[in-house]
Amino acid sequence: MGRLLLLARLVVGDIKRRRLQSGLLLAMIAATTATLTLALALHGVTNDPFARTRAATRGPDVSGLFEPGFHGNAGTLAQFVALRRARGVVGASGPYPVTRIELSWRGAHVRTHAEGRDTDRSAIDRPLLTAGRWTAPGGVVIERSFADALGLHIGDTVSLNGRRFAVRGIAVTSAVATSDPLIWLTERDLIALAGEHPSLWYALNLKLADPAGAPAFANAHAGGPDTAWALESWQAVRADDSQTIFDEQQLLEVGSALLVLISIAGIAVLVGGRMAEQTRRVGLLKAVGATPGGIAVVLLAENVLLALAGTVVGVATGWLLAPVITQPGASLLGSAGSPALAPGSVVLAVGVAIAVATAATIGPALRGARTSTIRALNDPARPPQRRPRLIALSSHLGGAGLLAVRLIARRPRRTLLGIVSVTIAVATVIATLIERHAPVLGMRVAGNVLAASRQTSLDHVGNVLSAILLAVAAVNLVFATWATVLDARRPTALARALGATPNQVTTGLAGAQLAPALIAAILGIPAGLVVFAVAGGNPLRANPPVLWLIAVIPATLIAVAALTAIPARIGAERPVAEVLRSE
Amino acid sequence: MHEKTSVLSAQGLRKEYGKGAALVRAVDDVSLDVAPGESVAIVGPSGCGKSTLLYLLGGLERPSAGTLALEGRQLEQMPETGLARLRRHALGFVFQAFHLVDELTALENIELPALLAGSAPRAARERARELLDQVGLEDRAEHLPSALSGGQRQRVAIARALANAPLVVLADEPTGNLDSTATTEVLRLFGQLHAGGQTLVVVTHDERIAATADRLITMRDGRFVGETKLAGGTARGLTEMAGLEG
Repeated sequence: MGRLLLLARLVVGDIKRRRLQSGLLLAMIAATTATLTLALALHGVTNDPFARTRAATRGPDVSGLFEPGFHGNAGTLAQFVALRRARGVVGASGPYPVTRIELSWRGAHVRTHAEGRDTDRSAIDRPLLTAGRWTAPGGVVIERSFADALGLHIGDTVSLNGRRFAVRGIAVTSAVATSDPLIWLTERDLIALAGEHPSLWYALNLKLADPAGAPAFANAHAGGPDTAWALESWQAVRADDSQTIFDEQQLLEVGSALLVLISIAGIAVLVGGRMAEQTRRVGLLKAVGATPGGIAVVLLAENVLLALAGTVVGVATGWLLAPVITQPGASLLGSAGSPALAPGSVVLAVGVAIAVATAATIGPALRGARTSTIRALNDPARPPQRRPRLIALSSHLGGAGLLAVRLIARRPRRTLLGIVSVTIAVATVIATLIERHAPVLGMRVAGNVLAASRQTSLDHVGNVLSAILLAVAAVNLVFATWATVLDARRPTALARALGATPNQVTTGLAGAQLAPALIAAILGIPAGLVVFAVAGGNPLRANPPVLWLIAVIPATLIAVAALTAIPARIGAERPVAEVLRSE
Repeated sequence: MHEKTSVLSAQGLRKEYGKGAALVRAVDDVSLDVAPGESVAIVGPSGCGKSTLLYLLGGLERPSAGTLALEGRQLEQMPETGLARLRRHALGFVFQAFHLVDELTALENIELPALLAGSAPRAARERARELLDQVGLEDRAEHLPSALSGGQRQRVAIARALANAPLVVLADEPTGNLDSTATTEVLRLFGQLHAGGQTLVVVTHDERIAATADRLITMRDGRFVGETKLAGGTARGLTEMAGLEG
């Protein structure tokens, strides 16, 4: 009990002493777990609203569309309608006439799937009005996600095949997937709009005794490849409605994987810095009788505690944010609400956070614990590494270049972590640029406003992710520079005593970040293509402007220079005498 | 009057830390003129302000008051960049803690000031080898500081201080971390430098090294409290006196 109390006191005391570092570590873990939680929470996020909509609209188990000439020509309308009496069917509505009608509104021209319905009171598939009233001559009812995508409201006047119609109502249905813009008209208006030689199709809705067997029923009655009709089970409609969420989920999974990587890099630098500062504390603890194991536990506990706190913040944030970026779409009733978070998902998020913190801590913690007491009390600087080739190369680079390369050479691990971090940030930017040019969904087809709406939703998720990744990368960079400044305070003070100017030292410190950033910017271009491919895009089809991609390299260097300039300048202006006297 | 013949001149130099009741005068109204080729030793107890004075003379700290000139150029108002450039060519530092770069070999440490001053790498390397020979460590060129004894490290540090042939070498307790044998090595080296006409200002509390100087200044509580001219003290003579001849 006493030991636990001591452990808690040591941990809390140290966290309080290094509030900024602790806060940054917590924020980094929170960002990672929030994204991971979002990705995990999206599994099946549309199930609930779809079921609600299906119940409220008496959704069919199988919906069929008789489309001679589109699917095939085999089979007659009578045979299609006879499906009402097929084995297992317990209820039906339709056939309703259907045709393609061009809806025009404020410059947008959309080919819609128009259904003739004089009443919404059918036994099966009873569209639910969420605003306004049902169809009447000269009036049209618009499916809600379509109305949202176009910005249509009750009372607006749209043009259908050149004729003006008033928007009378807005409704939802679970009979058809929302990838098709859907409207309802009176049968008479529909036939009138279809023209003198109407090519009418027919929609039929079926209720089965065994709803779960709907896919099998649809398969069994779909006929051959030439059949004039297509049947779709309610499960297929649900899957189609989930597609947007699926794409977002895929994007979030890629994003959280990248965030985990970038966080490991950042946390390793942070924890490494914390550990380096704790050498004397380790010596003191040993001097008063703490065992190496006990010290390792103290150091580990501190970071694991921060990881747990970060996870709580991250899981809560992810859970609260989920509905914001994963609206199931207006095609379904209600919003998704805060999606149910399975215990497994929480455990996974916690596990990832603790694994990241532990992986970054364990090495330095064990090293710290094994350090001899006297050595630890003397608080020696971590011995730098010697890279003879880089040292020889740096001799030819003049003052600032010499300092930069030698700073890189003495801490290769930190340099590598910096490269990883910036590569991920650059890859994110590249993937985003490519995506703008060749959307993942590949659906920016003129007139397909629903697809565009889905793409916008996806872009939104992508932007949020990119912003988080870039913010974390920026924090990493500033912290890595600061760690370099602290670590190099003696060599840089010495360099100034030997004649290096403050500008040379500033440039050297910033250059120690810029040179790896150049490598990272170059690596980031192919890495961005990989990220784009993993997120569901086709890089071969993307064909982004080469100039854009090349421009990312100088842009990265400018961003890195801007982010590192201030900590580097502060480092260069430290009083030389003070540093040299303290060593 | 002094400035015309002095290579280094300080007049009314003062350095203060803190404010109000916590004000500390580390260096208080100190005046000093160092002639070319002269060796000056500043002695005094720990905390009397010797090291602070040395850092002021080297432009590593700014004085709170007073004037400071190196070869007639005023240092106290000189921008940091100007001071850095001046340090490259006019000043060499030797520290008690050596301050060698851990990951650089002896040779690489010695050539560092020349490289920072913009010398060609080959020229810097040749000069470093000459200096390494001069300090008797030609067989330790590729050794890292961790593989050198204390005395050897300080000899490398002295060689580094000479890399750009400075007007003045400023040494802060150069034997403070050394045993007797290593102290002898360093004393010999300072004796050689002095004999070669190198201007030296050495801060020390080691009487043996102080005795090698042309002039001995005693410092207490930030002030000069005594000055003694020594008649031609040489490293050899004094090491013999101190019984360190080995």
